[in-house]
Amino acid sequence: MLNDGIYRMPSEDKEHEEQLVREFQAGNLEVFEEIASIFQRQIYSLAFNLTRNQMDAEDVAQDVLLTLYRKIHTFQGKSAFSSWVYRITLNASYMKLRSKKKDKFVPIEETFPAFNNSGYHQEKIKDWSESADSLTFSNETRENIGNAVEQLPEKEKVVFILRDVDGLSTEKVGEILDLSIPAVKSRLHRARLFLRKKLSNYFEEYYSKETQKK
Amino acid sequence: MICCKECLDLLYDYSEGTLPKETAASLEEHFSDCPPCISFLKTYKATTVISRKSIKADEIPEAVQERLRDFVQNLKKP
Ligand SMILES: [Zn+2]
Repeated sequence: MLNDGIYRMPSEDKEHEEQLVREFQAGNLEVFEEIASIFQRQIYSLAFNLTRNQMDAEDVAQDVLLTLYRKIHTFQGKSAFSSWVYRITLNASYMKLRSKKKDKFVPIEETFPAFNNSGYHQEKIKDWSESADSLTFSNETRENIGNAVEQLPEKEKVVFILRDVDGLSTEKVGEILDLSIPAVKSRLHRARLFLRKKLSNYFEEYYSKETQKK
Repeated sequence: MICCKECLDLLYDYSEGTLPKETAASLEEHFSDCPPCISFLKTYKATTVISRKSIKADEIPEAVQERLRDFVQNLKKP
């Protein structure tokens, strides 16, 4: 179930992209439009997921395209070109986020489950997994989940977006962020625990309202 | 018998299917006797799926696409 929609880039595409980059580096400015059209979805969707705002995502996308146009000669091919584009997009998104004031910050550990002295669950754990799926398409639910993702601390948020939302492999995420595999896994686990708690709060409240209506 | 707290640490690898067989078996033994952990596992997995479905933005809005295209074309002008 977790492997749904994992994104794999066919190797011919990768070769084609790197060919375009070499041509552009060699001075053929005409190919930039194609480079931009190949990567703009990747750039925009990451920027949107990080900023949760269309206008900010568009600004970031422009910044990134400009950076690619001006700085592509500094790309040395040590990692995949797409990883380089991801890193530039991350930096531009963070600049954008930093220019805005932040909501109050809750330590992520506070959302982790509590255990008693014998190591057993202290709280009641409700299973909302099956009924929740049908709610995913309501705007209220989407907005709520979007807000929960927005509240994730930066380190966990970016790993969650790249791996669980965009479906990149753990290895690719490690390459982009320059993190070890265990570090990627640990951040992803923490992000999932945080979001699980936020979603639990939301769905439990939702269902208790529903039952009151009846 | 492992406790719920230990289960939590194994949950990531278990849900990815990368846990060694024996460890997975002792985890499942715990699950068979612990409804809270089953609920936790199910909601942990559902969190990923539901979040992805809710926030995934694959398409760039048409108007944005157009503006980006103009932007790229203007880059080439000296
Ligand atoms: Zn348990």
